[in-house]
Amino acid sequence: MSVNRWLATGNYFTSYKEEQRIFFTSLDRSAMGLLLLGLFLWPLFIQLDNKYMLVIDNILVAVVAVMGLNLVTGFAGLISIGHAAFVGVGAYTIASFARVMGENHILLTHAWPLMIVVAGCIGAIFGGIVGLPALRLKHLYLAIATLSFQMIFQWTINFMDFFNQGQTISVSRVTWVTGQVSRSQHYTFWYYAILGVIVLAGFAVRNLLRTRYGRCLVAVRDNDRAADAMGMHPGFTKVYAFALAGFLAGVAGALHAYLYRGVGVESFTLHHSISFLAMAIVGGLGTLHGSFLGPLAIKLLDLQVERLSEWVGNHLTIATNLATALKPLSFGLVIVLFLMFEPRGIANWWRIVRSYVKLWPFKY
Amino acid sequence: MTHLIVSEVTLTFGGLNALTGVNIAIEPGLITSIIGPNGAGKTSLLNCVSGFYHPTLGEIRYGKYNLTHASPHRISTMGIARAFQNLELFRGLSVLDNLLLARHKHLNYSIFHAIIYFGKASRIEAENRAYVEKVIDFMELEPYRKKMVGNLSYGVQKRVEVARALTLAPQLLLLDEPMAGMNIEEKEDIVRFILDLKKEWGMTVVLVEHDLGVVMDISDRIYVLDFGVLIGWGKPEEVATNPKVIDAYIGEE
Repeated sequence: MSVNRWLATGNYFTSYKEEQRIFFTSLDRSAMGLLLLGLFLWPLFIQLDNKYMLVIDNILVAVVAVMGLNLVTGFAGLISIGHAAFVGVGAYTIASFARVMGENHILLTHAWPLMIVVAGCIGAIFGGIVGLPALRLKHLYLAIATLSFQMIFQWTINFMDFFNQGQTISVSRVTWVTGQVSRSQHYTFWYYAILGVIVLAGFAVRNLLRTRYGRCLVAVRDNDRAADAMGMHPGFTKVYAFALAGFLAGVAGALHAYLYRGVGVESFTLHHSISFLAMAIVGGLGTLHGSFLGPLAIKLLDLQVERLSEWVGNHLTIATNLATALKPLSFGLVIVLFLMFEPRGIANWWRIVRSYVKLWPFKY
Repeated sequence: MTHLIVSEVTLTFGGLNALTGVNIAIEPGLITSIIGPNGAGKTSLLNCVSGFYHPTLGEIRYGKYNLTHASPHRISTMGIARAFQNLELFRGLSVLDNLLLARHKHLNYSIFHAIIYFGKASRIEAENRAYVEKVIDFMELEPYRKKMVGNLSYGVQKRVEVARALTLAPQLLLLDEPMAGMNIEEKEDIVRFILDLKKEWGMTVVLVEHDLGVVMDISDRIYVLDFGVLIGWGKPEEVATNPKVIDAYIGEE
């Protein structure tokens, strides 16, 4: 009998290497290929307003950050309420270079991919340092330790002249093979750049999760005593988890700095940390595609609620004050509802739909 | 073959002596049982050997290694593996991943290999998968390979616990009540596994168990603890006739 790689039935493996694949059927792989193709091609056919392109870019930056947060909070089970500060570390790495070398230095404008990696590495170093309390602390106590980093970060930026006391430090436009990226191309250019980063990071994380470097994260989440008996140092594994999250956060921060062509502390506050956490929860903790779905859902919700409150403000002038409170209200409500009714997030809906389609028309 | 020597070990929690001057010598290739009433210090002794506790006084040696102050992850690399009494599995992972985690130290590729995956990481993962399959085969876990551990029945989880310790490829296996809460059939299975381990894999087994029938049947050596003190040791028939042991288990009239 020959192997049928297209469907789940008749799809069998004869070696352990074959079984390591990410996409079990060719159907899955083709669907993924088509999705990626669509994501890369649609800007050629649909011209979106800069305003909407910025929203999309914003979602993509959040996806990179939440991917990092999902590694430390979802997979390694360590609650981090300082994730925006790590993103800030990445952004301020770019800002520091701009301050020291001048914003038009060739390293910043031409070697920007390198700068993004450097920002990621600085983020990883800070992640590792902030993760050090994980050697001794657990659960909520550790969460408070990460909160303290958020506070220290904001204070440091606000009170140092070098960082312009939290006011915007500008970053110049970058240069691509076609020359300097102009104002009209800016958002489309960064759409492609960030999408590229997401594809790379997504596959890197997926690969990591099927090796010892990913499994050890889940091991310390589920049972760190047993992890110890299996030969891994639970403390260092946690520090490593923070470093990994710090790296992706740093990359997200650098992308943010380039996208907005400037860095200000108001983009990296506690509020943003909690938003990231909400995105991870709504998307689905401990799943990779949750990191994509969460930011998308929360940011789109934000957008719709903003529209609604604007409409209410225009038509019911008496309720204007109430309308402004709609955004934080809906945000909080969504988190509470998800924690109550779907703690496994949107990723679980995806799982249910998938298994339903697979078995259709049978029930089980 | 290496001996495990526990000499004059005392373990104190505050004012309480969990273990007092315990001397044990585990001979290689044998099944040694440690028995005693509840709270006698059996699990404390295993915790000392596997590095979760460090003795207040005394010394534990395994061949050329000194285990007295070694941490659990160091000890796991010295050829000693341990299965826990209360299930301490990674509940959010499949049986396969649980066992592959025990191969952690054998998967020697760098994080960059892991990110690229193709090549070195893939090859080493496949090699270790083959070892894991050997253990799955031995412990008869084939139907549960891809199942999430948290969803399995208690008896199967216990078997996964033993299998995970086996996957570390130890010479000395510490089993902490592997048969607790099992029915007769499941107990018979585990006993068969333990006997096969000794015979086919040449493993040294240390067994902590409450079921005296099983202990008397399969042990080569028995040590009896009571209130942290060693009150008897020797072959099963010697221990069974030891008046101190009878006293501890049945009490005076």
